[in-house]
Amino acid sequence: MKPVNLNGPMVVSLLLAAIFQLLPASGDWILWKPNVLLMVSIGWILYVPNQYGVGFAATVGLLADTLFRMALGHYVLIFGLCGAAAYILSRWLTYFSLFHRMVLVLALVVFAELVQALLFSIWDTPVTLSHLPALAITSGLLWPLIDILIARINRYQR
Amino acid sequence: MIIDSYTEWLSPIHKIVDNAVRPLYWLTNIPSRIQEWGEISGISRADLEQDNLRLKQESLIHHGQLQRMSELAAENLRLRQLLNATELLMDSVLVTEVIGVSPSPQSHTVTINRGRDDGVYVGQPLLDAEGLMGQIIKVYGGHSVALLITDNTHALPVQVLRNGVRSIVEGTSDYNRMTLKFVSPTADMVAGDQLVSSGLGGRFPAGYPVGTIASISQKSGAIFVDVEVDPSAELDKSRYLLLVFTSGGDRDRGMQ
Repeated sequence: MKPVNLNGPMVVSLLLAAIFQLLPASGDWILWKPNVLLMVSIGWILYVPNQYGVGFAATVGLLADTLFRMALGHYVLIFGLCGAAAYILSRWLTYFSLFHRMVLVLALVVFAELVQALLFSIWDTPVTLSHLPALAITSGLLWPLIDILIARINRYQR
Repeated sequence: MIIDSYTEWLSPIHKIVDNAVRPLYWLTNIPSRIQEWGEISGISRADLEQDNLRLKQESLIHHGQLQRMSELAAENLRLRQLLNATELLMDSVLVTEVIGVSPSPQSHTVTINRGRDDGVYVGQPLLDAEGLMGQIIKVYGGHSVALLITDNTHALPVQVLRNGVRSIVEGTSDYNRMTLKFVSPTADMVAGDQLVSSGLGGRFPAGYPVGTIASISQKSGAIFVDVEVDPSAELDKSRYLLLVFTSGGDRDRGMQ
């Protein structure tokens, strides 16, 4: 079966995620803002693992590095690790319920933040993890929307 | 990551990519522009007239205060001359607008719509109407990136306005809180004291409001006290800022 080209919707979804990521948030809201770029890339890896894998996650990580103004490679590593986990689990997770996928994304968001904290501590940059529970909750709550949208796009294109 | 952190080799790539993602920052500003437009277009004529009257009255009060300030500045200059101290120079400013905010809660940076073409340089101080906001860390052709004073990698020499006690204020990755480092329990500081930039280090000009001491506490057995500071500037709200052009080496160094 010839694979369907999903690059167009994928690029649009990443652009929308980047715009959402850059929307200014004031006060404590910034701590609640989920990493939508990470979640969208996980979504594409879970639904289309034959086209989007670790390399794709690392490329989105490069985009995140430029958007978050981090040293090139910081988010490449984080996205790459999360992408690898999502890629390995993708063959089972599509058969799981939305709730199970939500739990996985929540775990991956926490994992990403912990890796980030580790990288910051390697560079001797003070870091706080107080925002982690709030971030995990909002990421988990936003996941169903991303999951359903990517699933629908995937089904529609096929 | 190591190369990018310790060298400048990848800065051309950063410049290209930063210019490429700039339209995204413009797009993210659309909601606030619409809100601004909505607020302006929704004002009635009567409200505008009332505002105009209030601004005229305020302008009159400020003119009066300015006259007193000029008198004080002249007196200060005379006293400094008597003391053979260095003459304080008036700083010139340039109005700028925030066009992007860092999406990461760990990194407190903003992108402004002035760059190398406007004479902006690395290390240039940035203010809002209330106080010191931060300093420029990257300059591009038409825009620049500023590190805010609340970023956890930022530290700034300050002094208490009341008595001149010096200290260093550090960011905590919280827009509403900073901390003072290495403050002795015997230091003459109380909650409510205003902190201004001390000018030490030569990066920030002296005398700009930085924050107010919110609380002072000491953990049992600790050598230093924990001092929390409320920033004066509205770091996560201000849209229009001022770039301060100070005289001296910083600018020359930054322009290289």
